[in-house]
Amino acid sequence: MILYDFEHERPGSLQDVAARLAELGPTAGILAGGTDLLPNMRLKIRTPATLVSLGAIAAQPPGTDTDGWLRIDALTRLSEIENSDTVRAACPMFARSAHVVGSNQIRQAGTLGGNLCQEIRCLYLNQEHDFQFVAPCYKRGGDCCYPYPKNEKDFCASVFMSDIAPALIALGSDIELVGANASRRMAVEDFYTGVGMTPTVLRADELVGAVMVPPPPPNSGWGYHKSTIRGGLEFAMVVVAARVALGEDGETCADARIVIGAVSEGPSRARGAESALVGAAPTPEAIAAAASAAVAECRFLPHHNFSVEYLKQNAEVYLRRILSEAFGRAKTGPGKGGQDQ
Amino acid sequence: MSNLSFVGKSRKRKDGPDKVTGKAVYSQDVKLPGTLTGRILRSPHAHARILRIDTSRAKALPGVKCVITVDDTKGIKHGFVETPRYPPDQEVFARDKVVHIGQEIAAVAAINDMVAAEAVGLIEVEYEILPALFRPLASMKPGAVEIQPTHPKVDEPYTNIAGKTETEWGDVEQGFAEAHLVRTDRFESHLRTHGYLEPHVTLAHWENDKLNVWTSSMGTFVKRSKLAKVLDLPFSSVRIHKTYTGGTFGGKIDLYTHEYAASRLSMLTNRPVRIVASREEIFSAYRHGQPLTVELKTGVDRNGVLVAQQIKIINNAGAHRGSGVVVIFLCWGFTMAPYRIPNFKYEGYSVYTNYTTRAPQRGHGCPQVRFAIESQMDMIAEELGIDPVTIRMNNARDPEEDLPNSDNVHQAGLKDCLRLAAEKTDFLRNYGQTRKAADLAGSKRRGWGIGLSSYFTGSLIYPNGSGVMVKMNDDGSAVVLTGALDVGQGAETVISQIVAEELSLEMEDIKLVTSDTDTTPQDIGAWISGMTYVTGNASREAAGNAREKLLEVAAEQMNTPKSDLRLQDKMVISISNPDNRLSYRQVIAASVATHRGDTIIGEGFWRTMRDEPMHPSLATTKGRWSENYAFSVQVAEVEVDIETGEARLIKALTVHDCGFPVNPGLVKGQVDGQVSMALGHAFMEEVVTRNGSTLNTNWLDYRMPTIHNMAISEDADVITEQYKVGQPYRTKEVGEGLVSAILAAMANAVYDATGVRLHSTPFTPAKILSGLQKLEQKKAG
Repeated sequence: MILYDFEHERPGSLQDVAARLAELGPTAGILAGGTDLLPNMRLKIRTPATLVSLGAIAAQPPGTDTDGWLRIDALTRLSEIENSDTVRAACPMFARSAHVVGSNQIRQAGTLGGNLCQEIRCLYLNQEHDFQFVAPCYKRGGDCCYPYPKNEKDFCASVFMSDIAPALIALGSDIELVGANASRRMAVEDFYTGVGMTPTVLRADELVGAVMVPPPPPNSGWGYHKSTIRGGLEFAMVVVAARVALGEDGETCADARIVIGAVSEGPSRARGAESALVGAAPTPEAIAAAASAAVAECRFLPHHNFSVEYLKQNAEVYLRRILSEAFGRAKTGPGKGGQDQ
Repeated sequence: MSNLSFVGKSRKRKDGPDKVTGKAVYSQDVKLPGTLTGRILRSPHAHARILRIDTSRAKALPGVKCVITVDDTKGIKHGFVETPRYPPDQEVFARDKVVHIGQEIAAVAAINDMVAAEAVGLIEVEYEILPALFRPLASMKPGAVEIQPTHPKVDEPYTNIAGKTETEWGDVEQGFAEAHLVRTDRFESHLRTHGYLEPHVTLAHWENDKLNVWTSSMGTFVKRSKLAKVLDLPFSSVRIHKTYTGGTFGGKIDLYTHEYAASRLSMLTNRPVRIVASREEIFSAYRHGQPLTVELKTGVDRNGVLVAQQIKIINNAGAHRGSGVVVIFLCWGFTMAPYRIPNFKYEGYSVYTNYTTRAPQRGHGCPQVRFAIESQMDMIAEELGIDPVTIRMNNARDPEEDLPNSDNVHQAGLKDCLRLAAEKTDFLRNYGQTRKAADLAGSKRRGWGIGLSSYFTGSLIYPNGSGVMVKMNDDGSAVVLTGALDVGQGAETVISQIVAEELSLEMEDIKLVTSDTDTTPQDIGAWISGMTYVTGNASREAAGNAREKLLEVAAEQMNTPKSDLRLQDKMVISISNPDNRLSYRQVIAASVATHRGDTIIGEGFWRTMRDEPMHPSLATTKGRWSENYAFSVQVAEVEVDIETGEARLIKALTVHDCGFPVNPGLVKGQVDGQVSMALGHAFMEEVVTRNGSTLNTNWLDYRMPTIHNMAISEDADVITEQYKVGQPYRTKEVGEGLVSAILAAMANAVYDATGVRLHSTPFTPAKILSGLQKLEQKKAG
């Protein structure tokens, strides 16, 4: 139960929403699927005075822009993404990453925009704060950090756990932010700050409009894995996502994008590991070296009772596995062999 | 057994249709006009002196109807155990100091949730923080900060000892001296919780000098006795109504402060008061299971036959006695029941720490103890070059053996279970193969493990016995009055089957009135693994009593002896002249006409160990414990990813001697439920705490298995008890003993797959991987 009073509005268009956000500023909360916001309001992690609902606005169906990029409306439900023939054909990794979120009920309600803008997580934060951890932490506007008592103010060592963001970054996707007066477009990668206090660059008067995924390069393949303990109804221990492409010779790695998610304040690109792969043959040794390098260059925080040591071990094994899968798919041709099981 | 129509059959659940259609009434479904919301103020500190409580601002808040603290109580204490040695030790609200995070300090009743929450926030409490202790070894150290006084009868110089159980027989030292091999190992278990889906809910309404209560429980008569006592009311003034309970697993037995608070607030406001515990409260302030340290020293001869065993249990018991002093007694029982141990020494310490008070949890110590013993048994077997089945066969008890406490195992099917389990899984052909194989492809490794266990079937604890009444209706149908509570285990179904059998009625002819303390006879409750045995036999007696009355009247009316009569389709029929028959309706009418208005009411009562005056001593184990012992052998097949350490249960086989299964379908449900719970125990679930606070306070971060994690669960029974109509049903426990051997079997299977021996639960990927790396280093260096 949400134990405080708040207003609820339901504007009829995206422009009206943006206008209301501009008027209300940070006191507004944007309600789409509600699977992240409402539990956080119950836990008083967020206490918006006004909920601006997107309930009256219909999502545009997935389509292709004139530049050939796939466009997915931010209001698209995750269940629609995982089951969309268009998405599954054009970018199966995207569909896969939507499929592994939460549970079917969560995916029927949750939206793409909501998933990408979800609040960071921390066992101390995700509590009722009724009688334990009562004093608000930095993230809740207070003056302490429970897991890291020595942290400076404004430093929230928490974990950003979107399953989809790493896949979109690996795919080289863009995100469109809609404001009252202007829209802006940027790489999904740049949407994330890596700062726990403010995980995204989204301003209080903006909302996510859409995600655009580029067509895959020739001879490309993907690999994705979400590590969990029970396989469902669970945020990730580690997410790894990769998209690779082979050169015209079909033997040499021409492009690689490797992303690790759910282990720090934002998804991380492993650029060092990527460049080591490019130009080389993706032998098992090269893949193992890339996996190891990726783990070494990304930041890991202990989270949800997992030690950094184990998170790194798990990430390295699965990076190796998904890179092998990705190169395997690249050899069989773009987009092939990538449908959801 | 061939002429049985109802018992021994997988009859449909009596409560099934109401539960699947949402009609079943749980405590939250009971609505009364004018109900106030109750809410509890809890301690933010694990250990602190209370210097001052000021409720004035909360009381002044508009919408607040009442605020209570310990000063509004009569100061009457209660406890999970209430015996001369272990008298009640808990007050319903903290007095002078708090001993765990979440301890109840005050309660408010207000017109709605929002006002109640605000009021709780307005109560001012001033604390002086005291050092808190969370590890039992630190807590028991002489000179440690005192959480509660050490029990006066413990004469060792330890602090914070809630209780001790000790017993011995033979001469362990001599046994160890004579043994061919002696091993000492130490096993640790972790904090888990019950995971009942229905949170604690209590609605209390004080009206016309009577307290009506609807609450989540495992036995309404236990609740009534404790609630009436702390409220200082006669039992007749407290009525616990029947509601269904959405899962318990040990977590809803004892009196909880919210039950007292809702009741007291209702008495003070003359309004109904409801308190619902949030899931966060349940995880961080309510009672969980008991993490045990098991130190195990075992001596065996060349054949692995036990010569001597010494076991020391240290229980991290939380801040009150709770069931902590029971678990250290039970662990002795779970140790001595399945294997013969000629020389034995046992010590169990229950140690106060600044965690929440502990409750029983399905298995109540058995999984922790069997994990230790069965793991060590495999280690011994390997050292001796004996296989895991043979070493167990060499030690397992035979039928009719007397136990050290003068109980008897009767027709114990343990060896039958072992034989069948080994045969059905081809155990000896599979075991050890993965570790022997060289250069296996891929990263997945399969392993097989075995474990065994024994569990008691009911013991003596308040209210000790069950009564049942069977009221015949004029038309020949029957109403059964029983205090039994259906917490999901199927009590209503089993009781109906028994009554149907004894009276030759259809299940549909029987309606039950259950678990209402005013209208049904007293019942032991659904929590000591004895309900089918005790209440089941009380039902058999009650129905039998009604049947005898029917036969008596019919014999008079039909002019034929009772021995010539049989019952069929609500008719009494003469065996010698089948045309001579009377319907139940006619017999009952005749009874009313000729037996001074007797409408035919059958009464039945049952008590386990009827010649025993009371339960065994928790301190010395002396005295009889149980009449029937269930036995089980379980085999686990697990798969381990040796690169990531991730492990899962693929398949479980449970072979059990559960006596006579009144409803095999319900037995199968218990088997599957326990396998699921045990695999959560092994691989997924842990209440993560830091300094007494719980970090994972929700279903998301406390990972219970989902249906997708469920392993293939097969079972087989070895029915060793013969059953005849008119004889007591020799049913045995099957509802909680099966979480134990399978846990050990999973640990042994992980070893079989990888060579990694686990000494603590849970079996996390990190632990398994680290074990694998140590093995690699050993091989390399």
